[in-house]
Amino acid sequence: MAKAIENYWNDLRDTKVWRSVFRSGAGSGNLHSALSVQQNVFLHLASVKMRRRSLAFGVTWYLGTLTLATFLILTGTGILLMLYYHPSVPQAYADMKDLQFVVSAGVFLRNLHRWSAQAMVFLVFAHMFKVFYRGAYRAPREFNWVIGVILLMITLFLSYTGYLLPWDQLAFWAITVGSNIMSAVPVFGQKVRFLMLGGNTVNANALLRFYVLHCVILPLVAAFFIAIHFWRIRKDGGLHTGKAAPHE
Amino acid sequence: MNESNPDPKAFEAVVESDSRKAPVRVAFVTRRTSPQVKAESDPFMMTWPEGLFRVAVACEVLSIALVLMALFWDAPLEGLADPMQTPNPAKAPWYFLGLQELLHYFPPVVGGVLIPTLVVIALIVIPYFNVNVEAEGVWTRNRRKRLQVFSAVSLALILLLIVFKVWAVLAPTVIIGAAMLFAARESENAGRFHGWLSSHPLSFWIMTWFLVTATLLTAIGTFFRGPGWSWVWPWSAY
Amino acid sequence: MGQEDADALTRRDTLIKIGLGSAAVACCGAAAFGYQFLSPNVLYEPSPIANVGKPDRFPPDSVTADPVAGVYIVHAAEGLYALSATCTHLGCFTAWKPELGIIACPCHGSKFNRLGVKIDGPAPRPLPRLKVSVSDEGDLLVDRSTIVTPDQFLRT
Repeated sequence: MAKAIENYWNDLRDTKVWRSVFRSGAGSGNLHSALSVQQNVFLHLASVKMRRRSLAFGVTWYLGTLTLATFLILTGTGILLMLYYHPSVPQAYADMKDLQFVVSAGVFLRNLHRWSAQAMVFLVFAHMFKVFYRGAYRAPREFNWVIGVILLMITLFLSYTGYLLPWDQLAFWAITVGSNIMSAVPVFGQKVRFLMLGGNTVNANALLRFYVLHCVILPLVAAFFIAIHFWRIRKDGGLHTGKAAPHE
Repeated sequence: MNESNPDPKAFEAVVESDSRKAPVRVAFVTRRTSPQVKAESDPFMMTWPEGLFRVAVACEVLSIALVLMALFWDAPLEGLADPMQTPNPAKAPWYFLGLQELLHYFPPVVGGVLIPTLVVIALIVIPYFNVNVEAEGVWTRNRRKRLQVFSAVSLALILLLIVFKVWAVLAPTVIIGAAMLFAARESENAGRFHGWLSSHPLSFWIMTWFLVTATLLTAIGTFFRGPGWSWVWPWSAY
Repeated sequence: MGQEDADALTRRDTLIKIGLGSAAVACCGAAAFGYQFLSPNVLYEPSPIANVGKPDRFPPDSVTADPVAGVYIVHAAEGLYALSATCTHLGCFTAWKPELGIIACPCHGSKFNRLGVKIDGPAPRPLPRLKVSVSDEGDLLVDRSTIVTPDQFLRT
């Protein structure tokens, strides 16, 4: 039975239609594995082969991978939450109540989004410390470290802008305090605060700007820098395996 | 050696373009050659399916953990935003609570702008400074001179922290400083822990100090601060 | 032409300079327009001038909190003045504690006396005194966008 399915599967992969989509046809050897990665628009950012050592758990604890995973979970849940959310005052708060009590699986999606956000911030910090302690920031990976710090800033900013969206007391005052800290920057602090909030206080304009930042601008910027980050891993010679890592 | 059995090591280096006179060309690899010439003896494996399956498993474990969390613990939602009513205490999200705790000790310009900016700049320039590229223990060379510099810097820092009454940062500074001094001790029968401690370069100590300080500040801001940002003991407050 | 040909400004160089120059001007223009676009011209915020009612609402030697306007109206011996209720530390909303005779901020424990002077906490400046005036109908108006010096009082 299994053999019949396997034969059928291989025959399917040899058909004209399948080959027009996937090109590599039937097969299961190394060549085929290589082509699966190399011919795939999403996967070909990765190399065809990886060092066995780099995938041992103790080397990276998979923290970078997990950070990307939380980012993808957040994007998915975020898009779904956007379908029931109006970024206006006070409708936003009413929508939060809707999501909790009226929308099917609303409370689950919102919880998942929130906990994934906390997890992502935590994982980003953990990833940074792990990379530092295993010395993976040294040449030729210096610039990738800088990209990583930029991604840390983007992550924190994403979390900060998302924090305002529920428009509850927690959100409002956390953002008020944060924007007042921003205005303490000398010379252009007040101006930047005015632009960020779209006004003098945290009100409807601020909510809308934070919404656009959180859902459109920052995710695109993050995707851009994530792509550079992964590209640099390839160009710098793959994951640092820390064979002579001094801190281990 | 006779002609019929020439010594393979006895060769003559000539420059000869006539392929009939000198048919064998030898590549001479000196010690100055780029390390890329060395063959890698690292075992490789295919990204698909092995590598990506491991990635998938890691992602699945994380997803399960997050889904379980989402099923059992609700995200908080307080009352509608009221510009005329500040909750007491008004706390930032946990990753900024360390910063908010720092704001308790320093004015907003210093604690809110200067210190975070310096931290970000310090992080960015890490890989470009020699102190972070050295891999040997900080006390291995120039021990006396380094001890003097260390004493001066740490004393100045501790004085600054006492003047501003930043006890939360003072405690880890003193502990890490003590650990560094312990690592600097030259003892004949150094234990394994002592050996491990003294093998760390300066970058390790600075980063560990930063990690411990940030964690402590965040923990205090989360659990030990109540209304009016006054000190509370978590077991009595909740 | 001869010897200076290598240094002479060719037509290509000129055109490149003109092209890059225009691109630079366009970029500066785009940045200026972008900044103006991002900076809103109309704010849907309440007018900074708040009407807090008739002056005789405030008995002598009293501190009255007006949360809607976000000010304290103080009737001192010298006259009336208004203090901003927003803490100068990080913008939290302060509260008047009549039993203690102080204005307290819940966020980081800043405390101010009825003159707005800071007596405790991390606030860097005293609570600003705001301009008060009387409208045509005899109502007390507080201009929250104008800060005055602490020697200004409104006599009624």
